[in-house]
Amino acid sequence: MAVAQFVVNGLLVGALFASIAVGFALIWGVVEIINLAHGEMVMLGGYVSYWTVRSVAGEGAVSPVVALASVPVALVVLFVVGYGLQRFVVSRVTGTDLFLTLLVTFGLSIVIQQLALQAWSADPRTVAVQFTPQSFDVGGVFVPKTKLLAFVGAIVLTVLLWAFLRYTRRGRAIRSVAQNPDAAALLGIDVEHTRALTFGLSSAIAGGTGAFIGMILFVQPQMGLIYTLKSFVIVVFGGIGSVPGALLGGLLLGSVEELTAGLVSSQWTLAVSFGLLIVLLVVRPKGLFGRGVEGEP
Amino acid sequence: MTRYAAGVLEFADAHGWKIIAVLAVVGALPPLFGLEGGFYMTVATLTLMFGVLALSWDLIGGQTGYPSFGQMGFFGLGAYTTAILVKDQAVAFPVAFLVAGVLATLAAGVVGLIVLRLRGGYFAIATLGILLVAQQVSRNLEVTGGSSGKILLDVPPATTFYYVLLGLLVAEVAVVYYLTGTRFGYVLNAIRDDEGKATSMGVNTTYYKTAAWMLAALFTGLAGGSWSLFNTFVDPNTAYNLSWNVEMIAMALLGGTGTVAGPVLGAFGLHLTIVFIQSVSLDVTLPLLGPTTINFAGWQLVLLGLVVIVTVVSYPQGFVGELRERASAMEYYRHAGGAAGQETSHDETASPDGGERT
Repeated sequence: MAVAQFVVNGLLVGALFASIAVGFALIWGVVEIINLAHGEMVMLGGYVSYWTVRSVAGEGAVSPVVALASVPVALVVLFVVGYGLQRFVVSRVTGTDLFLTLLVTFGLSIVIQQLALQAWSADPRTVAVQFTPQSFDVGGVFVPKTKLLAFVGAIVLTVLLWAFLRYTRRGRAIRSVAQNPDAAALLGIDVEHTRALTFGLSSAIAGGTGAFIGMILFVQPQMGLIYTLKSFVIVVFGGIGSVPGALLGGLLLGSVEELTAGLVSSQWTLAVSFGLLIVLLVVRPKGLFGRGVEGEP
Repeated sequence: MTRYAAGVLEFADAHGWKIIAVLAVVGALPPLFGLEGGFYMTVATLTLMFGVLALSWDLIGGQTGYPSFGQMGFFGLGAYTTAILVKDQAVAFPVAFLVAGVLATLAAGVVGLIVLRLRGGYFAIATLGILLVAQQVSRNLEVTGGSSGKILLDVPPATTFYYVLLGLLVAEVAVVYYLTGTRFGYVLNAIRDDEGKATSMGVNTTYYKTAAWMLAALFTGLAGGSWSLFNTFVDPNTAYNLSWNVEMIAMALLGGTGTVAGPVLGAFGLHLTIVFIQSVSLDVTLPLLGPTTINFAGWQLVLLGLVVIVTVVSYPQGFVGELRERASAMEYYRHAGGAAGQETSHDETASPDGGERT
């Protein structure tokens, strides 16, 4: 029974990893940048949600409605942040050496993280959501309602992004830039704007997920790096540009981490998930689904 | 500025070995004139150490084109090796120091088998991941003292480490400077510029890049091995210091990747700036707040991030690279539009052993 509980916990939190990774993969595929500041977008989203809830409802546990209402705020703020970052900073190195783009996003992650540390201190913060009773009991397996809420929220965000990319005109523009920026420009698509839009969307979904993470775990200025790395693991697993692959990867990573934490020790989760990454990179560098980046192994 | 750039580079290219020798002698002087401990000794020693780290990073990141985001992994391995050997096994420091270097090199050989098959972003993140795993492992093991680390009390005096790190830096500068003029160095640069082409020319690139990777790990591990005793304390967060991991990249980048002098100059400049910022506090009278003390401690990482971003966006070639660019622009001007070096209307510019190796 314990194993079933671990798997359920893993699936619940894995959906959040997946929706973060989808944003990470989107930038990678369209702007051709490995955004090392992606985890910081999660962190910022968490803080936006936290401060929104704090200023509306004060300290203490809040109703699910208030908590959910803070998610759109995080989405909008992080969209603006992401759009601005691409437009004014990252666009200066897009299309140059991959190493330079890595460094710029790494620099951004440090600056954002350290400014957050100066502004909000290193204390972890949580948006406590009030549910009575706290969890469902499904045949001996406990499903905390807050985690279920976050799970559903993350899935909704992922599906919305997927539908946007697939069915809207803007979404098609984004996909065309991913395929061939020059041809897209010839057809009258504003490539710079589209890339910034992509960065904005990706940051928004990361920020929205960050808001949910603030409800089920905590937000802290230095939390970002771990989420960036998890996104990388998931994208390598699922393949770049594959939303179902990322979703499956996220759920799997969540389960593996929870099983490691439950059966071995929570101190070894990172080592196990990274061990898996190394194995994957060597055995199946293009991911189990979808394509790799051209020129990369 | 521009006018002197060419002169400086010419001089450096022509007298490389002499410059290294003179600087080594000058570097050995301070402890002889009374600097034996305290704040300035620490700053000087750490500055030398960062020179070693930045140059090691540049050997694999700048010369070979494999941007490692996990060099601190080898540093931490070296640091823990000497800490454990000296404290728990009562091994003499020189022996422990050598073991640290050997272990780091061997670890690099094993890790390299896996990660050197990856390129670009995959390589960068895989190395970052290995660093984080190493940090977590040291946090969980008994022998490393877990997350509380190890306190080392019975250690050699501070001047020992000053000389050890000075020796390391001089040795590394000499090795890298020598290599840049050999086939080995050229192959590394060829791997950076186009690994596929280098392979198709019949070069065994795996051998060369693994050798460079292990050499970089050797110096990083030795630096770590001397640091832990110098610091008298080692724990997972300081041995696998994530901000130093960024610092060494920023230093190499700032000074100029793929050069010998660049990373060392970058290390000296940036570390001294960071120390200055950490220690300075300004007493100013602000319009609204009245007399205030502005303290910059804690802001050094913000500065570091900004330095990285601005350097990458505006000066991706770094200080030495920029200098070289200006010098060759001057050359172009002097030859009235002809390519630099085509005519030799002025004194011979090439160094005796040929080429730009600064």
